[in-house]
Amino acid sequence: MFGDKAFDLLKDLERSSQTIPAFDDDGLRQVLEEIKAIFEENVAQAQSQGQASSYTLLHFRHAALQRNKRCLLAYLYERCRRIKALRWEFGPIIPDDIKQALCEPEIQFFNNYSKSLAAYMRAVGDSQGIDLTSNLRPPKSLYIEVRCIEDYGKFELDDGEVIHLKKNSQHYLPRAQVESLVRQGILQHIS
Amino acid sequence: MDPTTIEFIGEKCMISIIPNFSSEPLHLIYGSVGPFRAGFPVFVPLWLATHLRKQQKCRIVPPEWMDMDILEEIKEEEKRSKFFTKMPSEHYMVVAQLVMSTAPDDVPRCEELRTVIKDIFDTREAKLRTSIDAFIKGEGTYAKLDNLTLLEIHSVRPILPWSLDHISRYQRVATASQRDTSMLGLNTTVGSSTVPGSSATPASLSNSLYTQ
Amino acid sequence: MSDTETPAELNLSTEPDLAHAVEEEEEEDDDDMEQITAQKVLEILETAWINETNAPELLQHQSDMLELMISQVSHMEEQMRDLDKNDFRAVVHSMELERIRYIMASYLRCRLQKIETFTQYIINQDAAREPDDKRLSPEEAKFAQELSQNVDEYFHKVATQYMPNQQRGEAEQRIITPNLMSHVFLKANVAVPAVIVGVDDEEVDLAPGSQHIIPYQLVADLIQTNKAQLI
Repeated sequence: MFGDKAFDLLKDLERSSQTIPAFDDDGLRQVLEEIKAIFEENVAQAQSQGQASSYTLLHFRHAALQRNKRCLLAYLYERCRRIKALRWEFGPIIPDDIKQALCEPEIQFFNNYSKSLAAYMRAVGDSQGIDLTSNLRPPKSLYIEVRCIEDYGKFELDDGEVIHLKKNSQHYLPRAQVESLVRQGILQHIS
Repeated sequence: MDPTTIEFIGEKCMISIIPNFSSEPLHLIYGSVGPFRAGFPVFVPLWLATHLRKQQKCRIVPPEWMDMDILEEIKEEEKRSKFFTKMPSEHYMVVAQLVMSTAPDDVPRCEELRTVIKDIFDTREAKLRTSIDAFIKGEGTYAKLDNLTLLEIHSVRPILPWSLDHISRYQRVATASQRDTSMLGLNTTVGSSTVPGSSATPASLSNSLYTQ
Repeated sequence: MSDTETPAELNLSTEPDLAHAVEEEEEEDDDDMEQITAQKVLEILETAWINETNAPELLQHQSDMLELMISQVSHMEEQMRDLDKNDFRAVVHSMELERIRYIMASYLRCRLQKIETFTQYIINQDAAREPDDKRLSPEEAKFAQELSQNVDEYFHKVATQYMPNQQRGEAEQRIITPNLMSHVFLKANVAVPAVIVGVDDEEVDLAPGSQHIIPYQLVADLIQTNKAQLI
């Protein structure tokens, strides 16, 4: 049936739970072939001076062709969108497992985008620059409230103050200095 | 805008604190604050107040309106009026929540206040839902929203603007297809009554719904 | 950037001098421009940020204000280097700088997002505008051009070169356009008489401070001229 494969391309991409599924080379080729086949049929028919009665068929094929193009470009557009998101999430280097899902032109696209974005961020404010990939959330505080999940013992802050991290005790501490303890699960961030 | 952004904006409100330390004024880009004298009240932005309070460097002086009598009155007024009454602060929810969660000990009758503020908010939200329902059914595209606070406005975002966007999209399509059919000479008398919005008076309808 | 300026609280002078560095820089660039304080710059940026987040289309860029504020922030950072990090004042200044950095970053991200979505539309619109009215800053314009080219190249390599009979109109059909009639929340800064609020030309006078929900396009000029702001 005309257009099925093109629609599948899109459905599969939408259904996929991965950051970005593997580039569907085969699916893409099939859709392109269908487009070409439909086009050639129409050309052939037009050249054989079809009667008015066959216009309907001509129109039908044309609509199918347009729909195929549209699905295919939507597929590529959505992939572009996800590839751009990779730059914001992972920085200028794509992790290897994700890179495998991209085709060569996509890697090129990513690299160009990455370069453009970096150049833009450097150029902002008369070349003073600003990093847009940080400061993603409204800053709550340089300090955070934490609860101690396990007995840790003494912990010295940068200013020399020593605090005792006892299980279930609560503290208000500089975020930057306790972030690693939070990641290790010794402290829990409470709001 | 998500709730954290609303809070971020609300944190700019000035609030009075009583510091337990002394310091020269701070010249922030936002404007100067201080000088700080131990035991004397001074106005600072809310984000600074909550920080100092968490560090036990000050007591927060709850704003005047965080008072049972005043809030009870507001609550009654809100229930009585079919319109939205003016709130004592543009960010009353953000201020109340931050102050009461950071410094419950600084707020007399904190638990009771929490309840009455919640009641006020709920009353207003219910009113908001009813108004919106009527507004959309009245096919309006414009309305006055006076006295609604930022948080309340955002509680109906994105649903309200999106519904209106969708409705106007349908209207455009409907109008266009009506034109198409009339060009074919098929259109008879049904047009104007089936195409919504084209002859409605959105502003007057909606105006009366929202404000006095 | 004037390196001799010091925030007042650090050299304990009585005047809040933070704004001076900004003023001087301003004068260098343009003598006609009014003197402007850092506080004012921040206010303008905050409004621009909130307007930008809520407007369906890309608004006019604020390169000048951004440039001033970025200078101001790094100037402050410079000054703070001498203070003990845990000093009460240093902490408060850092907190404020974090807030300002967030506003600037969020603002620019929001603009980039629109540029990425409506790339070709924005480029085309800007091409027809006078230099002073361009919505894109020069950096953004460069970014938009590169992105547009990058996407076209990708589409071409992977698909469009294999598609027969590319019609001219097709590239045009692919242009994504913002819905300028989408509804926005608005607050009037000043009294604005006779604003058309509906398709049937009904007019309403906006009182200062009054709030409204209205299709964006009907009030776009009020935002531009700062007679009203989005909320």
